[in-house]
Amino acid sequence: MPITLENLQHVYAANTPFSYAALNGVDLKITEGKITAIIGATGSGKSTLVQHLNALLLPTGGKLTILDRTITAEEKPQHLKSLRKQVGLVFQFPEYQLFEETVLKDVAFGPKNFGATEQEANHRAQEALKRVGLDASYFEKSPLDLSGGQKRRVAIAGILAMEPEVLVLDEPTAGLDPQGAQQMMALFCRFNREQKKTVLIVTHDMEHVLNYCDEVVVMKDGKLFTHQKVTDFFQELSLLKELNILPPAVVRMREMLNEKGFHIPSSTLTLSALAKEIRNEVKHHG
Amino acid sequence: MDSFALGRYVPLNSVIHRLDPRAKIGAMLIMLICIFVPTGFVGYGILFAAILSVVLMAKLSLNFVWKAMKPMLFMLVFLMIINILVLKTGVLLVDLFGLTIYSDAIFQTLFIAIRLMLMIMITTVLTATTKPLDLTLGIEDLLQPLTAFKVPSHEIAMMISIALRFIPTLIEETQRIMKAQASRGVDLKEGKMKEKIMAILSLIVPLFVSAFQRAEDLANAMEARGYAPGAKRTRYKQLKMRPADAVLLMGASALCGLMFVLWLWVL
Repeated sequence: MPITLENLQHVYAANTPFSYAALNGVDLKITEGKITAIIGATGSGKSTLVQHLNALLLPTGGKLTILDRTITAEEKPQHLKSLRKQVGLVFQFPEYQLFEETVLKDVAFGPKNFGATEQEANHRAQEALKRVGLDASYFEKSPLDLSGGQKRRVAIAGILAMEPEVLVLDEPTAGLDPQGAQQMMALFCRFNREQKKTVLIVTHDMEHVLNYCDEVVVMKDGKLFTHQKVTDFFQELSLLKELNILPPAVVRMREMLNEKGFHIPSSTLTLSALAKEIRNEVKHHG
Repeated sequence: MDSFALGRYVPLNSVIHRLDPRAKIGAMLIMLICIFVPTGFVGYGILFAAILSVVLMAKLSLNFVWKAMKPMLFMLVFLMIINILVLKTGVLLVDLFGLTIYSDAIFQTLFIAIRLMLMIMITTVLTATTKPLDLTLGIEDLLQPLTAFKVPSHEIAMMISIALRFIPTLIEETQRIMKAQASRGVDLKEGKMKEKIMAILSLIVPLFVSAFQRAEDLANAMEARGYAPGAKRTRYKQLKMRPADAVLLMGASALCGLMFVLWLWVL
């Protein structure tokens, strides 16, 4: 069940003086069952790209294949609801979409819309809430009374309860404290590992890309700049520099050490591997 | 939403754009009086020519003015139908199963339509050539004399400018929430009545919550910067009347005079 983009284009407000091309021909194939990070500067087309994945935006040019659906610019697609059930999209600051009286009802809203029975929806909502770390004591609270971080968990649970095949997240950790952000990323990781489902995450945090993601897609000026494995991506320091990306702390530390005379290979990308390399070198020279 | 023209500012550089907002508001009021002077087709022809020349001077496209008029068309048609059937003076023209149409009704209805169109044209010129903020500054100045009667002119202007400022923000917010709920299976177009109500609820509640949140944030931010409603304050932007503004006002007044002359003595 792959996701493939062929020469995907999107122009906002076409044929007006305000027309703006957000995507100018993107070719991309998302690897199934992996966590893919989508990075790029503001205005590079990341958010526009992910909104195509559940057909909130339709391409103005090119072709898009998601699971068993093909969407082209030429024909207006019907029955988008089934696609939206399969591709769960979590927006930036999703806490603003909460509206029900209780947390449980709000999370059950999605599944109910997609045809689940009351009972089934409630059951799924409870499961999803437990998965995001909110226990039964929260079920009957008003979502508006929760803290910002808890609201976001509820909103994400609302998408997880839909049991999508593909989970797409637009900056899910923006505005969270570092600990909350890490818990959130770990949650997506578990979702990916346990259920073997594809996850796409738009992010600006290189630490998250390195620690949690398998592949990375870099967008630049509405085009695909590069698509590679995370482990390869962080070895190409010149590329990072060109993109004006501050490398993760481990990479920065390795580079500082190498400047001072160490010879740590560029494939060293974790803290423990770095520690091991340092120990080896110190031993040999000591 | 991008094609919405009514009340939208069009950033161009024209003689009309550079005029003082107070002069423009004043001229608009005078022109509105003109429109209500019953001068028949001759007078409306003159007014139309005058307004059209202002539109052209403002470098606005006729297409834009037409687009601004479009949302009002429905109301216009509605008004016309009611009017045609209700007025019962003049010569009887049509009598169809008790529905009667008289000659005066036709003329009156046409006049109402023309008046409304002229009014929309004038107000469109005003809003398209004046930044919303300048407009509120102008309104504040024009309301200034009323402070003697305890009319809070500054507060009114501030409220108007805040309301105007947040229209695009709220539109953006609405679209965002609509998309977020669409991702959760909300379909505003299809579904049963109950589902539709739920769909609208899922849009309105978050919108209200965030609007109140924004209002509170804004109030706090204003207070933190020492904003006090009644306080005396200076302005960064000073409005200044120039000869061109006087020309505009005099032109509008002359036109108004002409309309009265036409009404009282000529026709």
